[in-house]
Amino acid sequence: MGGLQKKKFERGSATNYITRNKARKKLQLSLPDFRRLCILKGIYPHEPKHKKKVNKGSTAPRTFYLVKDIRFLLHEPIVGKFRDYKVFVRKLKKAYAKTEYSDVERLKDNKPTYKLDHIIKERYPTFIDALRDIDDALCMCFLFSTFARTGKCHVQTIQLCRRLTVEWMNYVIASRSLKKVFLSIKGIYYQAEVMGQLITWLVPYQFSHDHPTDVDYRVMATFTELYTTLLGFVNFRLYHSLNLVYPPKMDSKSDLELKGEDEEDYAMDSESYLEKLSALSTSLARVFSSVEDEEAQLDQFPVEGEDMENMEAREKEQKQQETQTKLFEGLKFFLNREVPRESLAFIIRCFGGQVSWDKSVCIGSTYDATDETITHQIVDRPNIDKQYISRYYIQPQWVFDCVNAKILLPVEDYFMGVTLPPHLSPFVEEKEGDYVPPEKLKVMALQQGKKPEQEEEDEDEEDEEGEDEEEEDDNDDDEEDEEEEAEEKSLKKMEEQRSQGKSLQVKVTPGKVKVENPARLEQEQKAEEKRLAIMMMKKKEKYLYDKIMFGKKRKIREANKLAAKRKAYDDAEKAKKKKARK
Amino acid sequence: MALPLYPERDSQKKKSEIPFCFPNMAAARRLKRVVASQPGFLPIKSPSEPVSTRRKRVNKNRKKNWNKYSDINDVEEFLEDVRLQERTTGGLLSEKTDDSLFFLDAGQPEKVEQEAPGPAEGKKRKGKASRPLRIDLILQHDSLVPPPKDVLAYQQPNAKKLRRIAQKAEQLAAKGVVPRRQKQLLNRRPVERTVKKAVTEANNNPDRDYYDIWGQESKDSGDPWYLQQTRKKLVKRPEKLNEKPSVLPAVEVIAPGGSYNPDFFSHQALLQEAHEVEVKKQKEEDKIVRQITVNKEDTATEETIFQEQVEGLVEEENEEEETAPDDEEESVVVGAIAVAEKKTERQRKRQRADKIKEQQRLADRRQVDQRQQLFQLRSIKASIKQQEKATAVRQIKRKVKQEAQKAQPRRLGRLKFQPQDLEVQLSDELAGSLRQLKPEGSVLKDRFKSLQKRNLIEPRERAKFKRRHKVKYVEKRAFRAIT
Repeated sequence: MGGLQKKKFERGSATNYITRNKARKKLQLSLPDFRRLCILKGIYPHEPKHKKKVNKGSTAPRTFYLVKDIRFLLHEPIVGKFRDYKVFVRKLKKAYAKTEYSDVERLKDNKPTYKLDHIIKERYPTFIDALRDIDDALCMCFLFSTFARTGKCHVQTIQLCRRLTVEWMNYVIASRSLKKVFLSIKGIYYQAEVMGQLITWLVPYQFSHDHPTDVDYRVMATFTELYTTLLGFVNFRLYHSLNLVYPPKMDSKSDLELKGEDEEDYAMDSESYLEKLSALSTSLARVFSSVEDEEAQLDQFPVEGEDMENMEAREKEQKQQETQTKLFEGLKFFLNREVPRESLAFIIRCFGGQVSWDKSVCIGSTYDATDETITHQIVDRPNIDKQYISRYYIQPQWVFDCVNAKILLPVEDYFMGVTLPPHLSPFVEEKEGDYVPPEKLKVMALQQGKKPEQEEEDEDEEDEEGEDEEEEDDNDDDEEDEEEEAEEKSLKKMEEQRSQGKSLQVKVTPGKVKVENPARLEQEQKAEEKRLAIMMMKKKEKYLYDKIMFGKKRKIREANKLAAKRKAYDDAEKAKKKKARK
Repeated sequence: MALPLYPERDSQKKKSEIPFCFPNMAAARRLKRVVASQPGFLPIKSPSEPVSTRRKRVNKNRKKNWNKYSDINDVEEFLEDVRLQERTTGGLLSEKTDDSLFFLDAGQPEKVEQEAPGPAEGKKRKGKASRPLRIDLILQHDSLVPPPKDVLAYQQPNAKKLRRIAQKAEQLAAKGVVPRRQKQLLNRRPVERTVKKAVTEANNNPDRDYYDIWGQESKDSGDPWYLQQTRKKLVKRPEKLNEKPSVLPAVEVIAPGGSYNPDFFSHQALLQEAHEVEVKKQKEEDKIVRQITVNKEDTATEETIFQEQVEGLVEEENEEEETAPDDEEESVVVGAIAVAEKKTERQRKRQRADKIKEQQRLADRRQVDQRQQLFQLRSIKASIKQQEKATAVRQIKRKVKQEAQKAQPRRLGRLKFQPQDLEVQLSDELAGSLRQLKPEGSVLKDRFKSLQKRNLIEPRERAKFKRRHKVKYVEKRAFRAIT
């Protein structure tokens, strides 16, 4: 016996964690400053496994940080800047109180500032790390750039966010990397593939803000502070990867085109350049003004051990992608004033289309509505007075749906004043046996190169076609199922006939020579083999197999149910429409 | 004797008053002349006033007394009259010629006829417009006496000297000689009107420039020990900090039912989901309401109140009967404790022997059992296998749960994470076209909640305003007077 008495909470998890208040005191910072520091440095609170042990026996809910994290924070040079700032505020207050305005001026001139560059470098050691985390930054910058300049946050921050988002959009246009768009009730979701990373961001609709009260603006502003720095550096790198001039410059050619117009109506001289850039209607200047050398083919070296098929498939895919990025090439769009200009201009330019708008809507319009070469005019009103016969008048959803379908959809469904087909989310990926809405099936069929048999006149056919396809889908899933169903059907038929009192048709007919179909034979052989394999299964495996099959069937059943429901709904709608027509 | 005194006194008065009224010397002189020329200058004494034979003796050694005992109203009136004449006619009426005062009335002038074609030409409107406003007329200077000329305004001190200096400067300028003062100013370095450092260096400066942060290699200049000790080199960030606290993606795309023009079924599915959330909330609320409602049986009725009031007052017969057996029981219990007796030596020995015997028996039994287990090996194996299976299942379950936990928001502070309300538009709220779309929810809130959900910040509520001292209400006296 002997030794020192062990004291509670002096080892183990109790020493690994530190409460927020203690951490704050250790760093000698106020709570807002501490919170800011944690956000900037990427240090987040932890939930300990055994709260009571960590909390020294108390069960009060507290915020905990890891002690090591806080120790790491102690080395941060920004902490000193925060303290400086505190002193600065104190001095400023004093000067104001004493009405020494010259002192106030002097102090304001020497306001302590800090940079976050080293933090960016530290948190994102490589460029790809930064690119992976860019989603948040984009969302935040797009959000802040739509704020009104009313003092909810610094006007400078809003301007910076606007600049960065415009740069980003211009990059996406230049690199043609946009993949998906989704118009939701919340905002517009975009997805782009940049350097192999899928990047999703959300852009709010314009002028849709009511400032919620339960959001901490200070926290959001701190995040934005970090993200603007991050996005700026990422933009720089991306621009250089495309051989573009970084603070983006407009092409000298397009610059001249835009010059003649009356710019003063829109913006001050200092702002007009950014405004023109944000119009997204011009291409950007390159570091070396290249003479379209992008078309040069890359030499292909087949890697050893890689068979030709694989490579061909890859090549094919690449070609397909290229055609997708040139979706709108050669088309000339004109945006009416009631459609969301920025998003449409962005998308159309991303896929190589030309776009313009009325001169009075925004700066940077390149041609007039009277231009005869316009192929599509995007309209969002029931009718329009003066129509040109040389162009389609379509609703804006056509553009978004085309992007998601990766083909030019038929314009008939999107004509002015027509009830639109639903706008489906491109972010949903259906698995086997899931219910697929008929609209999507139609699009899939179009993608595979099939033509819709008839147009609007007989929807029935189309519906049937959709269903057929669905059935086909099902059949692909498991042939066995089909066989069983067929058997069952024939049996049922016989039963029905019997129940109706008809005698079975018994006849003797002269025999025919069966033509042996080799393909069919092979199929039969395969089916036979499969059945035998099933028969040979162990009990345990058989059980599992049955379970899987049951699950599949259930899924199909549910999908069929939904399809039936849909058909009923469509029929009802059609009946209603007919009635209305009468 | 009395009469000659008056003019004397008046002249005195006049001398004292004139400079006061007319600071202008010329005007004063003119007035003097006027006064001298006026015939009716002397006041006419009213005959009704009795002429006092004795002159009242008063001290006139002070200015105050002069005013007191001499009547200057007549003089004042007269002067007022003169001023009025000058103001309205520009001079004294008596000095004016008859032509300027009278004219021959020869009936209506022919002006009316001349004016008649005026309006016909359409110039009437113009004339009306040019008429000055009444307010301007009121404010106009209507006196015919010209305003006094301010001599001082035209005078310049040291005018001569200044003129000479200017002349000399002109001469020098013609020669091309720059004065020393100007030369100094020209030689001074221009003040650098740079933008404030605080603005240009700020983190959110919209014109800030970026560079290739990942491209450049860190310059390893100097001794690493020196750099570390002088805090020139930053401490390396632990790898662990770069892990994300949640596996959730930064941007969670809304369900397909949240499209602005959704597919019917996906919209219904989203509505169903929102409905379930709402139902759950409602259930919780109902539960709370149910818990805090007052139970009808617990409330006091008249009967129970009465019962309570008379409790113990009304004697009941069976009460005593009930108490009696209680007493007996108590006594029994007490007795049992008292009865316990000391064990004898023999009893103790016996007990010890029994205990040993029992232990022996159990040990034998255990040995037999162990021997028997040899024959149970198969069943034991089976049970072990079963146990292992059960643990494996549990392990898997726990793993799955842990995985699921990773996507869940953690409890990071006083408050639990409250998920955002689902953004949903009802079927009749859906817009037919993009133009008519009414955005639902707030992206700002969505981002904020997403940060909370990914454990980047702890959920908090807005700090409430807390009063440190109680507010003291004091009725104001004025208010009290009314009530």
